[in-house]
Amino acid sequence: MLNIKNVHKSFGNNEILKGVDLSIDKGDVVVILGPSGSGKTTLLRCLNFLEKADQGHATFGEIDVDLHDAKKKDIHAIRQKIAFVFQNYNLFNNKTVLENVIEGLVIGRKVPKKEAIEIGKKALSKVGLSEKYNAYPSELSGGQQQRVGIARAVALNPNIILFDEPTSALDPELVGEVLTVMKNIANEGTTMLVVTHEMSFAKDVANRVIFMDGGVVIEEGSPHEIFVKPKEERTKKFLKRVLPEDYTFYI
Amino acid sequence: MEKYFDVSYIWQTLPILLPFLKVTFMIAGLSILLGSFFGLFLAIAKLSNSKIARTLANGYTTIMRCTPSIVLLFLVYYGVPAVAENFGINLHDIDTAIFVVVTFTLQFAAIMSEVIRSSYGAIDKGQYEAAVSIGLTPFQAYRRIIFPQALVVALPNLGNSMIALLQEGALAYTIGLIDVVGKANLIIASNINAHALEIFIALAIIYWILSLIIEKVFSILEKFFSKGKKTLEST
Amino acid sequence: MSEGLNYKFLIDTFFVALSGVPVALLVTIVSLLIAIPLAFSLALTRIYRVPFIQRLTQLYVSFVRGTPIIIQIFIVYSSVPLLLTALFKKYHINVDVYNIHPIWYAFIVFSFSTTAVLIEVFRSALSTVSKGQLEAAHSVGLTTFQAYRRIIIPQALVVALPNICTATINLIKATSLGYAMSLQEITLKAKVAANVGYNYVEAYLDIFIVYLILCSVVEYGFKLYEKHLRKYKLANA
Repeated sequence: MLNIKNVHKSFGNNEILKGVDLSIDKGDVVVILGPSGSGKTTLLRCLNFLEKADQGHATFGEIDVDLHDAKKKDIHAIRQKIAFVFQNYNLFNNKTVLENVIEGLVIGRKVPKKEAIEIGKKALSKVGLSEKYNAYPSELSGGQQQRVGIARAVALNPNIILFDEPTSALDPELVGEVLTVMKNIANEGTTMLVVTHEMSFAKDVANRVIFMDGGVVIEEGSPHEIFVKPKEERTKKFLKRVLPEDYTFYI
Repeated sequence: MEKYFDVSYIWQTLPILLPFLKVTFMIAGLSILLGSFFGLFLAIAKLSNSKIARTLANGYTTIMRCTPSIVLLFLVYYGVPAVAENFGINLHDIDTAIFVVVTFTLQFAAIMSEVIRSSYGAIDKGQYEAAVSIGLTPFQAYRRIIFPQALVVALPNLGNSMIALLQEGALAYTIGLIDVVGKANLIIASNINAHALEIFIALAIIYWILSLIIEKVFSILEKFFSKGKKTLEST
Repeated sequence: MSEGLNYKFLIDTFFVALSGVPVALLVTIVSLLIAIPLAFSLALTRIYRVPFIQRLTQLYVSFVRGTPIIIQIFIVYSSVPLLLTALFKKYHINVDVYNIHPIWYAFIVFSFSTTAVLIEVFRSALSTVSKGQLEAAHSVGLTTFQAYRRIIIPQALVVALPNICTATINLIKATSLGYAMSLQEITLKAKVAANVGYNYVEAYLDIFIVYLILCSVVEYGFKLYEKHLRKYKLANA
């Protein structure tokens, strides 16, 4: 469904992505792991044109674009199909929870408001926030804000949702509620591409894990292949560092 | 003292002066309107990627910041017709009010560009990213997400800028505009300078009340537009 | 006028305008020297909510913020002589109030207005320094005065400096209104020179350039000082 080829991106003299290929099928839950600075977030942002890649190509269903000089029309078309969940939530501060969720439907897609509200309420009940329609983001906890962020993405019924470290800005005790919501929507068959440091999520929910380092994909495979029998030295080193000594996976 | 200072003059002068507020308001209104318009362009230039546009816009703002209103007023009043004459256009007979509006438009544009730039800068970049990520066009993102938030940030500065403009406008009498201040000076001249103090106090009262009204209106607006800031305000 | 600018006049008048700079600077500096300590004390009455004085200060700030400086000048310039004449008569002082040098009026008006501006600047700067700083200073045995001098003011100054810079530049610009008091500063001097041959465009260009230079230098000076303060801040951190 989504195929990207040879993505390059530099900031100044700092080459962040050095030719990344990736392909995702419908229903996939793909987790990208890797040390910080390995380019995971940048890759996600390039896919949604929040950063302009220096080079690269994407095929998305019937749309075929160059990531470096895509036409405005194509960018808009792709963004309509891809939803994004941000690390720091980025809820619209001037809008209520429900308004946040329906904004993309009503304005971006011209869905009638009444219908949009129906969809929005359904999405909010999925993330367990049916009580908070009229609250403003500043009245919510971080975990609640991120759940609204997820509902905002889900409401668009996108072909794929990109998650950019959705739990890294949260206090540890709030991480669980967000991961549970993500797990639920994954179980419904939503296609997801997730950058995270939550190994448990990668292990339990992903059907494919990609390990990135230094701007390239080092290794990819099933969670079992990556966590239990990694082939590459760099993957082993990384896992050894992030997983507790006596931590073993039972899959 | 009693002989020189007569409070009743203040109350007698007020009704004579008040109709001339029309001129003051017209000048201020037009300058605010045109100045905001050009200020927006300056702000866009300041935020653009072009180094030339940025330098020009910032340079313009610095120059305006360093120029006293009265100097700018006379520079426009004498300078613009002189320049126009070189192109064979005669501007010597046009209304003084136009020069006043040009002057304060130039000045207000510089102030507005800073107000816009700083309030835009106060909005997290993530708001724009989130807006386009859910399928809004860049224009929709600015109009529906960025602008409403930036407006709330800008309101206090906007109010202060308008009060400042109103006050600088008091200098327009120096090139012969008959607004409240111009009328006051005419009254004083026809009185052979007697009771000038009372008339000046009447002027001060008018301006003071106007400023208080503007301040009040903006604080009401701020409360009205502060959607989503409720908890921030109450803490 | 259609023959273009009179360059000789332009250059000559530039120096005439320049000769008004010392007066403009003198008024600026004296007004600041009066306004800064006064404004600081009054800002403290606002912060500590000294009952009566606080209200009075508020009223004073509101009046100055609410009225154009030119009208403040008019009022001072027409009321102070009346007051002084009455005063001098009462105490039999034989001074003609109309011989008082206009610069004294300038000192009064501009320190009056600058004080009000600076009260707000100091008040907001002081409120950015947390209360804990004063408590911590007390806890290590500093007196309140020492705490302000060594701990609070240095921190507040960094915050206040850009606003003090703006206030200073506005003050310099406001001295151009000294003409209303016949003060021989930059604008009046050049204007008088222009009256002879109706070279107003040239004269105002000169005035414009002089203010531009003057304000740019002042702004640059403040930027350097701010950098210096920040360095000091880092070195001590």
